[in-house]
Amino acid sequence: MNGETIGDSQDFAQRLTALVGRPMGSGKATVAPDPVNQPMIRHWVAAFEDTNPVYTDALFANTSRFGGIVAPPLMLQTWTMATPMITGIGARGGAPVATETTSPLAMFDEAGFIGTLASNSEFEIERYLKVGEVVSATTVIEVISEEKQTRIGRGHFVTWVTTYVDDAGDVVGTQRFTILKFKPAVAQ
Amino acid sequence: MTSTSRTETLNWNDIQVGDVLPTLVIDVTATVIVAGAIATRDFMPVHHDRDFANAQGSPDIFMNILSDTAYCSRYLTDWAGPEAMIKRLSIRLGVPTFPGSPLSYTGVVTAVSRGIVEVEIRARNNLGDHVTGVGVLDLALG
Repeated sequence: MNGETIGDSQDFAQRLTALVGRPMGSGKATVAPDPVNQPMIRHWVAAFEDTNPVYTDALFANTSRFGGIVAPPLMLQTWTMATPMITGIGARGGAPVATETTSPLAMFDEAGFIGTLASNSEFEIERYLKVGEVVSATTVIEVISEEKQTRIGRGHFVTWVTTYVDDAGDVVGTQRFTILKFKPAVAQ
Repeated sequence: MTSTSRTETLNWNDIQVGDVLPTLVIDVTATVIVAGAIATRDFMPVHHDRDFANAQGSPDIFMNILSDTAYCSRYLTDWAGPEAMIKRLSIRLGVPTFPGSPLSYTGVVTAVSRGIVEVEIRARNNLGDHVTGVGVLDLALG
């Protein structure tokens, strides 16, 4: 979804450049609200009808290479997702909670780039997580594109890198994620 | 769930570049999209509230990217077996996936080396390519 580059105001462009390398949120690690657990795994595999027995069948999993039940590796992003406050979520533009610290992305919304659309997701998995482990995540902004014209409106691609660690602080996986912050074209 | 659990994992020595994965078709409904969004704890209203999606210029709710990576991982291990370990998954989103248009996953093996198998994945709907990506599996067991 690459678009043509178009002009930004000098000031806005400079403020965007200053975001690169900055952490998302407060800069502190986001700790998963719950340890890796069977109920959330079961909910996830049901949604995607994934019947892999290493996720839910202890008898099978115990004798597998994993030595026990493991979480689906692509659940990595799910463990540290914020517990949402449902009331007012639409008015907050979809932000799950009213954040105490201003998101680095707030300047996009203030400039009219209120839309958010995921574009790329790239995971490196070091190891699978077992039930009971607690995941933490830290996220740093890596790249912000110039303003582009896309099929859904003008916007900026923003890429961040999230590092996921276990209780001991060892890396269990990393994720490079790109979103488009855009000015929605008028709805039909 | 309708299918039974797969218990056998492929031997990587039997896999060759060019091998084609069986096609997986997801019958995408609003329920499928909402179930995936909530199971991944993604409460962005564009994935469950059509009015909100309309206000953002989208004709309907659409599948979230965490569901896309979930389906890709399922697609890989449905084929390779439960002890295939996903080492890498990289996807790029193209057209959106709305309720009412089935999503067809296809895949082809692009590299095999010492137990590590790379698969190119594509998921298409009536609008075109929804997902293009690459998955890397570790099949070096024991």
